Amino acid sequence: MTHTSSFDQKYRGVPGALAPRSRPFIQRHPSVMIFIACLALFTLVVTVLSEGFGVGLISTSFVKTLGKTLCLCLVALAMDVVWGYCGILSLGHMAFFGIGGYAIGMWLMYARTELIVVQSLAAAPLPPTPEEISQGIATQIFGVVGASEFPPIWAFAHSLPLQLAAVVLVPGLLALVFGWLAFRARVTGVYLSILTQAMTLALALYLFQNDSGLRGNNGLSGLQNLPGQADTPQSTISIWFFWAAALALGLGYIFCAWMVSGKFGSVIRAIRDDEARVRFLGYSVEAYKLTVFTVTAVIAGIAGALYYPQAGIINPAEIAPIASIYLAVWVAIGGRGRLYGAVIGAAFVSLLSTWFTGGQAPDINLGVYTIQWVNWWTVLLGLSFVVVTLLAPKGIGGLFDLIGKGRKS
Amino acid sequence: MSTLLEVSGVSKTFDGFRAINNLSFQIGEPELRAVIGPNGAGKTTFMDIVTGKTKPDEGRVIFGEKSVSLLKLSESQIAQAGIGRKFQRPTVFEDQSVADNLMMALKKDRSPWAVLRFRPRQRDHGAVAQLADEIGLVDHLTRRAGDLSHGQKQWLEIGMLLAQDPRLLLVDEPAAGMTPAEREHTTDILVQAAKTRAVVVVEHDMEFVRRLDCKVTVLHEGSVLAEGSLDHVTADEKVIEVYLGR
Repeated sequence: MTHTSSFDQKYRGVPGALAPRSRPFIQRHPSVMIFIACLALFTLVVTVLSEGFGVGLISTSFVKTLGKTLCLCLVALAMDVVWGYCGILSLGHMAFFGIGGYAIGMWLMYARTELIVVQSLAAAPLPPTPEEISQGIATQIFGVVGASEFPPIWAFAHSLPLQLAAVVLVPGLLALVFGWLAFRARVTGVYLSILTQAMTLALALYLFQNDSGLRGNNGLSGLQNLPGQADTPQSTISIWFFWAAALALGLGYIFCAWMVSGKFGSVIRAIRDDEARVRFLGYSVEAYKLTVFTVTAVIAGIAGALYYPQAGIINPAEIAPIASIYLAVWVAIGGRGRLYGAVIGAAFVSLLSTWFTGGQAPDINLGVYTIQWVNWWTVLLGLSFVVVTLLAPKGIGGLFDLIGKGRKS
Repeated sequence: MSTLLEVSGVSKTFDGFRAINNLSFQIGEPELRAVIGPNGAGKTTFMDIVTGKTKPDEGRVIFGEKSVSLLKLSESQIAQAGIGRKFQRPTVFEDQSVADNLMMALKKDRSPWAVLRFRPRQRDHGAVAQLADEIGLVDHLTRRAGDLSHGQKQWLEIGMLLAQDPRLLLVDEPAAGMTPAEREHTTDILVQAAKTRAVVVVEHDMEFVRRLDCKVTVLHEGSVLAEGSLDHVTADEKVIEVYLGR
């Protein structure tokens, strides 16, 4: 089809026909700009109030909690793209998150143990051979599971760049292979959700074994100590990671917004609503699902790699199927199908969860029974999930529609 | 006029029910063809087989000059090869605007990577506007497709098919639920489309078929009962017996 300029003139001014599209991406999507501004302000306020770089109103442990929350917001974004936009209810994205954490944790643990071993062997009369050093590190790390040799998967643990590559590549490849098998077989809906849960469970059970090569149920620990930064206080390191998490969330938000705007976003929302119809339009639904599944798995891996150094420890319980279900609950409560909804949901619910389960919420004495929030929080969370799903499918994000409507009328 | 689609000796059985029974069918390019037949005659299954939704038990389905066998292709590959399909129930993406629906259907590279980088140019917006003009929706481009009337949704779906620029268009009961004025417009769109491509219209409504003024194929129990002009087939003894007489 060819179009003359007179044709263009004919439709000039028709709304939606010839919308000016030359403006930069950020300008066309004001919500992205608002989000980035809020995130920048939040980062600034936390930094100013922190112990490491500011007046000390916010404790270091709370800075870590906030930094971890930002990582959870990032993985919630990924979940929103794969579920809220593309309609794939993956209940396995926290597995990719955990893998990212393990990948960076291996380097952190190796590098720090190496420093300790080299230091302790320095006093020996003969300078230690590389084999002795390696042996020493292995004994230190794997003594707890009764082993003293490096399993093959630790082959790259000495190298930060290679482990950083693993943060991206391992979740990406796992998602690619799993997704290829599942989508090619046209597994959809609840069956796909069950399959992703099975994947998560299998991974967690495997990691629980002592000979999995990742220290079984002990997991990896001491991750909050950066190698070579023994003299840097945690108050400073916590802010570094907070900044890194904020930067990752900002970039992740822009990337996800870019992905779900435009025609790609159109196609994946169409797949969510009627995938058979999309096939007859000539789009390979499987290829799109696989792309979205893999890209979001990589985002989840990056989020995990930033989360666990702040948490300090990772063990297989973190990959348990329930973690991925919580992720879906956050996104549902925040409002799926809109990116800021996912961020709000993850931040709100996870912070509230920290408050309730941290023993800070006052118990309610009903006389005959005392409600202890540590136990009852999950019940409350489950109930609110049911209520939101039934009564407010747009979640917390839906409130913004009400504000918008109020302004118009 | 050369043969575009050739279906020969195709059979399909569902749980012992022979939906398609040794069916043979040909259509040239350009051509307008109406397919009629009583319920259960195999009209929908025929479309499912051509578009790749259903694989037949036996037979051949050959498309284009290069004689590509459609049986080896997936639904999306068949669509890319140039076969568009309109369903009986209008299926547009209700959550998205009319312009977005048309933009998605526009004939472009369909691979995820190309679509991810795709940003519409002026001429793409122009193509969308022109299509919207043809289907009478140029003033509704920014509206949610779900807010359109039933007839408008049918047209939007036809517009999306035209946007794909297919060589063969399969249309299932396009006039269902339309007002007389809307039917007339639909007839115009289909007749116009059939000037440059092959269009197969499955229809129940004889009046609508008469207005299309084209060759008619009558299906019965999964195979072709009669073929020719509407007057010819309606005069056919067998057709009267199985379809019109009762």
